[in-house]
Amino acid sequence: MAEIESESGLKIVDAFDLDPELRALLRPGELVEGIRGQYHHLPRYFYEIPSREAAREIRVTPHFGLNEFLLVDLKEAARVRAFPRYVPCAIRIAAFYLERLREATGAPVHLAVNGGYRSPAHKLSVAATPHMWGTAADVYKIGTVVLRDRASIETYNRVIEDLTDDLYVMPYGHEIGKADDHIHVDLGYVTVVPREISEDRLEGPQDKPRFAFEERRRGDRRGWPREPLPEVLPAAAHAGSTRSESQK
Amino acid sequence: MAKPQVEPPEEAAVRQSVAKAEQSLYASVLAIRDRHELERLGIAFYDAETTLQWSYNADAMFHAASTMKLAVLLAVFRQHTRGELALEEPVHVRNKFLSIHDRKPYMLDINRDTEGEVFERLGRTMSVEQLAYHMITSSSNFATNLLVDVVGVPVIQTALDELKIEGIKVLRGVEDQAAFEAGLNNEVTANGLLKLLRLVEEGKAYGEEASARMREILLDQRFKSGIPAGLPQAARVAHKSGNISTVHHDAGIVYLEGRKPYVLVILTQFPSETGARTAVADVSRDIYECLAGMNGG
Ligand SMILES: [Zn+2]
Repeated sequence: MAEIESESGLKIVDAFDLDPELRALLRPGELVEGIRGQYHHLPRYFYEIPSREAAREIRVTPHFGLNEFLLVDLKEAARVRAFPRYVPCAIRIAAFYLERLREATGAPVHLAVNGGYRSPAHKLSVAATPHMWGTAADVYKIGTVVLRDRASIETYNRVIEDLTDDLYVMPYGHEIGKADDHIHVDLGYVTVVPREISEDRLEGPQDKPRFAFEERRRGDRRGWPREPLPEVLPAAAHAGSTRSESQK
Repeated sequence: MAKPQVEPPEEAAVRQSVAKAEQSLYASVLAIRDRHELERLGIAFYDAETTLQWSYNADAMFHAASTMKLAVLLAVFRQHTRGELALEEPVHVRNKFLSIHDRKPYMLDINRDTEGEVFERLGRTMSVEQLAYHMITSSSNFATNLLVDVVGVPVIQTALDELKIEGIKVLRGVEDQAAFEAGLNNEVTANGLLKLLRLVEEGKAYGEEASARMREILLDQRFKSGIPAGLPQAARVAHKSGNISTVHHDAGIVYLEGRKPYVLVILTQFPSETGARTAVADVSRDIYECLAGMNGG
């Protein structure tokens, strides 16, 4: 069943190995100036998502699908929107924290269009927004609450701030740098060097393909049986939630 | 030596009937203006069947109201025809816009009643084509501003300039209060809208394919109190109205069975805000009856 094994993994790419058009759009490793004059290096290592189906099927955490971080409109460069698509490896960490937020609120957390990863070529990518690192999320709805008033935004901002010091939330307001129709939450400029990557090179091509999200990998290492996990875990069933709840 | 040109009797008859029609139209339009106590009235008319052209105050600038959406539609199809914008491209339905004047964000005052399907999609995406459809057929301000954002105000003006449409000035989206206060307003003349619709009718607005799609959208218009209200039930009208407190406009292409279409633009302005107005429908009726009379109908 070799083909199934390779299908379950997401390829990790060094963006320096991508074709010149994509490289020019993703600008790996480039310095970008932030709004306060500080500089940050753009991410270099990306997951390659081969198809729409893969984006829909792959779950980064129990309640967040990869596709939720890829939801963009025509403000994103057409090439970046076309499959195979690329998303910075730090997306996993963003998803981990969003999953904690979901636990804290007990309700599905909905990311807005253009609210996950935005490439540097995205029209909303002004200065060094953490969206370009895949470490930011714009949440427009939690459960059935649409976040477009001071009360709901400030309430959930407080929930997030109580959750961890790692997350930054944008204050409520109408000006640039504030939010009045969503919650912006980010982890700052986190870049991830996946353990599969060797850093003993600068910009030369890598010789071996590397894969992540191989669902069986950890289980195999531990000698677990090959049966897939049940769709609904006992604890989740008890809490009345399902694995696909954040999908609509 | 050339013989002196003698006009054939049938052509002389047509010329006479046209002159008579023009005179009677003029009289009835003045009567409508007085009866409805209009502050201003602008009319432009072109009939492809008789090639009759007629206008009244057709170069006077009026507040565009929603007739500016015709220029936005044109710009969308310009970008599409040039391969710069696919009609199926997704657009985030988000109620947040930047003023053209000071780049400050503003929101539209919208609800389920005024915006219908576009409101329902808030937070999700709609295609460029769906937005264009709602911008015209239900006069969605939300869809309009999203599309103005997609194509950009300069492109709208470029489209008008390229097609040599004078008399339409689009400077901003809808409800951009900061731009309004700075005197940046959208304006139209009857002749300007007539030119635009004639190009759409003749397949010259970025080609026959784009023109045909624009006509289809315009034919699905849901607001029928303007030009269609002065016509027989069987008439089909590809049009866009524009109604705000003191102006009521309509601009459209009228299709009647068994003849070529005519293009008609009626712009009206009232001194003060009052209830329902029928001036546009009355002018539309007069023009229809005038043409029916000329056709011996
Ligand atoms: Zn954000």
